Amino acid sequence: MSYAYLFKYIIIGDTGVGKSCLLLQFTDKRFQPVHDLTIGVEFGARMITIDGKQIKLQIWDTAGQEAFRSITRSYYRGAAGALLVYDITRRETFNHLTTWLEDARQHSNSNMVIMLIGNKSDLESRREVKKEEGEAFAREHGLVFMETSAKTAANVEEAFINTAKEIYEKIQEGVFDINNEANGIKIGPQHSPTNPSLPGAGGQGGSQGGGCC
Amino acid sequence: MEYFKSGLKSVLGAPQPGSQPTGAETVEKLVDRVTSSTLLEDRRDACRALKALSRKYRLEVGAQGMDALHQVLEADRADCEIIGYSLDTLCNITSAEKFEEENEGNNVHLNVNVGEQFTEMFIKNPDNVSLVLSFLEEYDFRVRWPAVKLLTSLLTNKPKDIQDIVLVSPMGVSKLMDLLADSREVIRNDALLLLIQLTKGNANIQKIVAFENAFDRLFDVIKEEGWMDGGIVVEDCLLLMLNLLKNNTSNINFFKEGSYIQKLAPMFEIPDNIEEMGWSPQKVSNIHCVLQLVRTLVSPNNPVQITSVCQKNLRNANLLEALCNILMANGVPADILTETINAVGEVIRGNLNNQEYFCTVMAPSNPPRPAIVVLLMSMVNEKQPFSLRCAVLYCFECFLFKNEIGQQQVVQTLLPSTTNSTALTTGQLLCGGLFNIDPLSNWFSSVALSHTLIENPAQKEQLLRVLLATNLGSQPVSLLHQCAVYLQQTNKLQSKIGMLMLLSTWMAHCTPAVAIFLNVPGAMAFLTAQTSANEYDNNEELLQGLCAFLMGICVVFNDNSVQNYSKENLSQLIEKRVGLETYVSKLGEISRHEVYAKAAKQPQIKAKYTNDLLLEFEFCKLFKALEGVIVKTLGAQKQLSNGMTELSLSEQENGLLLQYKDLIRDQDRRLQDSNRELRAVAEERDILKAQLEELQQTNSQLQDQNTLLKAQLSAGAVSLTSENPTEPNVENIENIALQQKLKQLEDENVEKDAELERLRKDQDDLLELLTDQDCRLNTFKNRLRELGENIEDDEDSDNNSAGEPDVK
Repeated sequence: MSYAYLFKYIIIGDTGVGKSCLLLQFTDKRFQPVHDLTIGVEFGARMITIDGKQIKLQIWDTAGQEAFRSITRSYYRGAAGALLVYDITRRETFNHLTTWLEDARQHSNSNMVIMLIGNKSDLESRREVKKEEGEAFAREHGLVFMETSAKTAANVEEAFINTAKEIYEKIQEGVFDINNEANGIKIGPQHSPTNPSLPGAGGQGGSQGGGCC
Repeated sequence: MEYFKSGLKSVLGAPQPGSQPTGAETVEKLVDRVTSSTLLEDRRDACRALKALSRKYRLEVGAQGMDALHQVLEADRADCEIIGYSLDTLCNITSAEKFEEENEGNNVHLNVNVGEQFTEMFIKNPDNVSLVLSFLEEYDFRVRWPAVKLLTSLLTNKPKDIQDIVLVSPMGVSKLMDLLADSREVIRNDALLLLIQLTKGNANIQKIVAFENAFDRLFDVIKEEGWMDGGIVVEDCLLLMLNLLKNNTSNINFFKEGSYIQKLAPMFEIPDNIEEMGWSPQKVSNIHCVLQLVRTLVSPNNPVQITSVCQKNLRNANLLEALCNILMANGVPADILTETINAVGEVIRGNLNNQEYFCTVMAPSNPPRPAIVVLLMSMVNEKQPFSLRCAVLYCFECFLFKNEIGQQQVVQTLLPSTTNSTALTTGQLLCGGLFNIDPLSNWFSSVALSHTLIENPAQKEQLLRVLLATNLGSQPVSLLHQCAVYLQQTNKLQSKIGMLMLLSTWMAHCTPAVAIFLNVPGAMAFLTAQTSANEYDNNEELLQGLCAFLMGICVVFNDNSVQNYSKENLSQLIEKRVGLETYVSKLGEISRHEVYAKAAKQPQIKAKYTNDLLLEFEFCKLFKALEGVIVKTLGAQKQLSNGMTELSLSEQENGLLLQYKDLIRDQDRRLQDSNRELRAVAEERDILKAQLEELQQTNSQLQDQNTLLKAQLSAGAVSLTSENPTEPNVENIENIALQQKLKQLEDENVEKDAELERLRKDQDDLLELLTDQDCRLNTFKNRLRELGENIEDDEDSDNNSAGEPDVK
């Protein structure tokens, strides 16, 4: 499948806030009420369209447990976007956001777009963190904010797509150096500025594209 | 060497005449100089000398110099030269290999792995590894290269420990990945080797390496090196990719999603003149790795959805076609061909589209034949290499796996209606292979044919229709009959086991097949004899187990259509002739056998020697599923038959039995009563439940109505008030009350006024009276004075105080 851009995302946040469920809902459109603990990191991918352009999202879903922290840190550097997730029914997951944010800011490139997500919005009766608090935290730290429910799929699509939009805008503004893959952004094979000058490479890309669906 | 010696002389000074210093002494001096010299040049020279000695006097340098070298790494970071020497020295002393020079000289030869010991010493402090990792960031060749080599050396000796340390060092893996982009080939290539070591068996590192764009980097390198024709570096790249993908679902998913499968295409481009060019050993190694890579993506051990998507992608990228081309090309080395057949098998396994494609592949032979036929010809050909024949069987199994159409096609070629065609068919090849003199062919063909029947009841019955013409003039016999006869005739274990597996698969869940088998003369007798035999060598126990298994199948899937061998008769036969316990333990022989464990492990047929091929994966699955069923059925039959033998019991026992029977009958009746009661209660409960529901419904309706009414009521009240405002009324009432009160108050006021008036009047009257009295008093006084009475004018003065005193 051809794409104009490829963005790398990571999903971070305390254990049990629903990171894997968010990814599963986004990539497979389903919800798994009982999910095993993520060991290390798991990978998922999906294609989206922004501004008429195909954009491939490659998403690394990290383990929230403290024991895996040093492993998951290795993923910050190469990511263009991060979803920082907390659980609106567990205040402590909200309280830990500062630590997560510090960690992310320290190890990532400075342009990484961070989206703050309050997950489990379907559990209104057990809510411990007000929406306003999330909004305030996001405003204070310059993040985009959203409340989602991986269970009902509310806002899940939007969360991933809005992050991509933000990255896309930054590319348009020239903030991102798109030729440096360490930023977590790749230009699609057909869109690479260096390719069209090489007829051989272009032809090959065409024939490959024809064969795949 | 001369150079080093002169170098040594310059560092140590001229040796004292007469006494040659020993290696240990020299090393001690040098270490001392490294630690205590204040001049960088001196330390550097000493370090260089240590490096020179570190091969020959490895033990001494390692034992005495470790701390000094470590100190250099920390203190002299700024000087690339000395860091280089220090790293090189550490690299030598921790090396896993033994140096030639080591055994020279007079040091004692030790059997321990010196490199590993020094590695252990060095990594005791994990910071040391981080320190070496940090030197990777130094661009200077003299530092970066030995740092890479030292890490590789440490990894070789203590892979687990180093992996753990690298994983927790910040950006550890990233630093290593950056090395792949180094323009100096030596460093890039050594970094590849380092990464191969690092990623071995550690899923977390594998994922991080993949995340750091490893596949892009590696494909870049492979392209640069000329794809398939590239040297060992291409092989290294492929080995690293293999490490990243093996058993790592997340990375396979990433590989697929990143469209890297399509990027493999140029690896399979075989030049037209390959026959003249020949296959260089490196090319063979490279293609071997690529085939491994393809197989890793579609391994039967992967989750099904991953494998099937990869299979689809491989076909869409025309890689399945490319693989089939290699299959049908001339002059391909046998081991490549074998691996290609395995790879094709796994790419089509369980994927209907790919299986259909494979079906249409034609071999460029004259006349053109389907590739499947050509492959099967090799399978039943004794002259072909053993591993190739195994691969063909595996590929054929993969073709039939979950492929009802394919199974039907193969069986179809054996049915009478299609025999008029002269072309060689798959079915004919298999039937020929079943009964030829090569036991391996028998085995291969039995297993292959059994795979046309797996989970396919229709084909089991179709295959029963197959008739074989044996000798001219004699009646044709059915295929199943012939199999049962051949089973008794052949004396080859492999052939027998093959037949037994075929028959078991065929007869399981197929009562007509069981009936035909039971009618074969001697078949049951053969099975009984084998099952009750007691030989225990040359895998005889396996044969006995399989015979027992087939007998069991005859019991379980018996429709009692053969009189002598009804379900009951057969169970009695087993009970009487073999004994149930012996029978069960014979069955158990199969799963206890080591070939069972090996075969059940993976679908691929893996064996080193021809004689090792006995059991097969799908048969093991069947056995696992049916063993319990057979034992259970036989147990039930035994209990049934116990009732039959009650005549043989003694009178007392019989009495007891009758008692128990009565008891049971009684219990049975009670049970039935209870059941009836239970049913009645359940019915009642259902009715009640229905009623309850109805009531609840009415209740909720009423509640609704109630709510509605309440709502209406309040709505009505509101509308009422808005129409006739009551507040004025209230005001009116209040007003009236107020007015009344006011009136009352006014009345009171009037009354009070009146009273006040009256009181005033009274007062006036009294005042008047008083004045009057006063006047009279004065008159009386004056009269008295006139009368000559002396009267004090007290009262006068009091009364007329205003003017009177002046008058006096």
